[in-house]
Amino acid sequence: MLINELIESASHDMSNPELNFQIAKEYERINQTASAVSFYLRAAEYGYATHPLIVYTSLLKMSLCFEDQKDRNWNVSNYILQAIAHMPTRPEGYFLMSRFHEKASNWQECYTMAQTGLAFSNQRLEPLPADVLYAGEYVLLFEKAISSWWIGRRDEAKVLLNNLLSTQTMKPEYINACISNLKTIGA
Amino acid sequence: MNLVQRAVAKGGKLAPLVIENGLTSGTGLMNPSVFIDDDGDILVNLRHVNYTLVHAEGGQRFPSRFGPLSYLHPEKDQRLVTVNYICRLNKDLEMTDYAKVDTSKLDVTPIWEFVGEEDCRLVQWDGKYYAIGVRRDTTSNGQGRMELSQLEINKENWAVTEVSRMRIPAPDPNTSYCEKNWVPVLDKPYHFIKWASPVEVVRTYPDLPARCEQVSFRQNIKPPQDQRGGSHLVPWGDGYISLSHEVILFKNYLNQKDGLYYHRLLVWDKDLNLIGISPNKFTFLDARIEFCTGAAKLGEDLLISFGFQDNAAFVLRTPKEVVEELISEAMTYVN
Repeated sequence: MLINELIESASHDMSNPELNFQIAKEYERINQTASAVSFYLRAAEYGYATHPLIVYTSLLKMSLCFEDQKDRNWNVSNYILQAIAHMPTRPEGYFLMSRFHEKASNWQECYTMAQTGLAFSNQRLEPLPADVLYAGEYVLLFEKAISSWWIGRRDEAKVLLNNLLSTQTMKPEYINACISNLKTIGA
Repeated sequence: MNLVQRAVAKGGKLAPLVIENGLTSGTGLMNPSVFIDDDGDILVNLRHVNYTLVHAEGGQRFPSRFGPLSYLHPEKDQRLVTVNYICRLNKDLEMTDYAKVDTSKLDVTPIWEFVGEEDCRLVQWDGKYYAIGVRRDTTSNGQGRMELSQLEINKENWAVTEVSRMRIPAPDPNTSYCEKNWVPVLDKPYHFIKWASPVEVVRTYPDLPARCEQVSFRQNIKPPQDQRGGSHLVPWGDGYISLSHEVILFKNYLNQKDGLYYHRLLVWDKDLNLIGISPNKFTFLDARIEFCTGAAKLGEDLLISFGFQDNAAFVLRTPKEVVEELISEAMTYVN
């Protein structure tokens, strides 16, 4: 459904978190991330008491929108942290926080967030209503592997990267990254 | 009931205004000013900013680090920067053309952090297009003055160039800090409503030296709260109508700023006396920050353009029936 149709149909119930979430997704799909932020935030605020997964996903989506806009790191991290605080026993927020610290070369923070996320990655999880880049447990293992080398755990890094390649079904970019990193560290 | 719901229920139409991401980096497109020119083209001045507004509503459980209402600009660039696009819509309110206004001939280095001409209203007077907005980047303290920016619109190649720029002084003594949201009267060239209570009408001139004079100053009906400039004054029936906004600004317990914006319809007689005002304030889509900066008559209907939380822009085709209802309600107002 087009944005105008979505909003016209939502105009009678603009506090509905599901409708706001749909509008936000559509704006994000066409790369209008400021507009998407507005509606994701409305979805989160108005869904606080009733729609925990929409709230959690919306907050993570906001961080991704700010990331897309570039040079807004305080806001990228802030909304990941708010998502984690909202649902601290899901792994996606820890993954995004770990990835955030990887990009900033904050290696101990990256490692700790990945390890914390792994504590919650083995449980049966209700699917989120939208993709937040969390492809499965292996993305946390990857972050842990990368950061472990930088914090002085070279052997752990080698084992983790080799295990990822031998035991996980991963997206091509993760496979390539594992191979590349193993070459770099001389394994 | 918000105005979009009310208009759509009577056959109206809402049109989002979007420019592709490659040009705008995804940040806010806002405060559009719709206008229909002498050729019958539906034009819109669409403001693009380098920030994303975060305004936490509801229980305000998810504010930004800086509070419930914050302008999230790039971290390495503290400025709030505006550029403007001139767009053309077809009769279905779909955007067919857009072009960033080329201001390069007249730009000077900004010396304050609000950069660019903000919240422009688009008009055509004496055959010339003007974007009329506030600029605050020419003094080191952010003094705001309305500017009359003449635009040349090349409709063949759809290119827009600012060819002259005049900073309009306030009427004497011209000592105010910030002048903004003067409302152009569509069929009275260079005339503006500066304030609604008392009603202050001013006029400027397109030639040098830049000057502005007070045309009238009189107390008409008293609005329940200070009304600030919104849409153009659009000829309607025997007089005019316009949309105004009112702002409630406050701070939370952490001393962080917050605000609420509401709108009303104003009714004017042919002599620019304020004779009616919506007794009840309304919103367009129930957001706490919305802002109307344009209106134009299309056939029997009214096009109203508004921004949503500084992050999105819309044009609402409002059926005549709804407009007449709003006018009737406004005429019941007793101050």
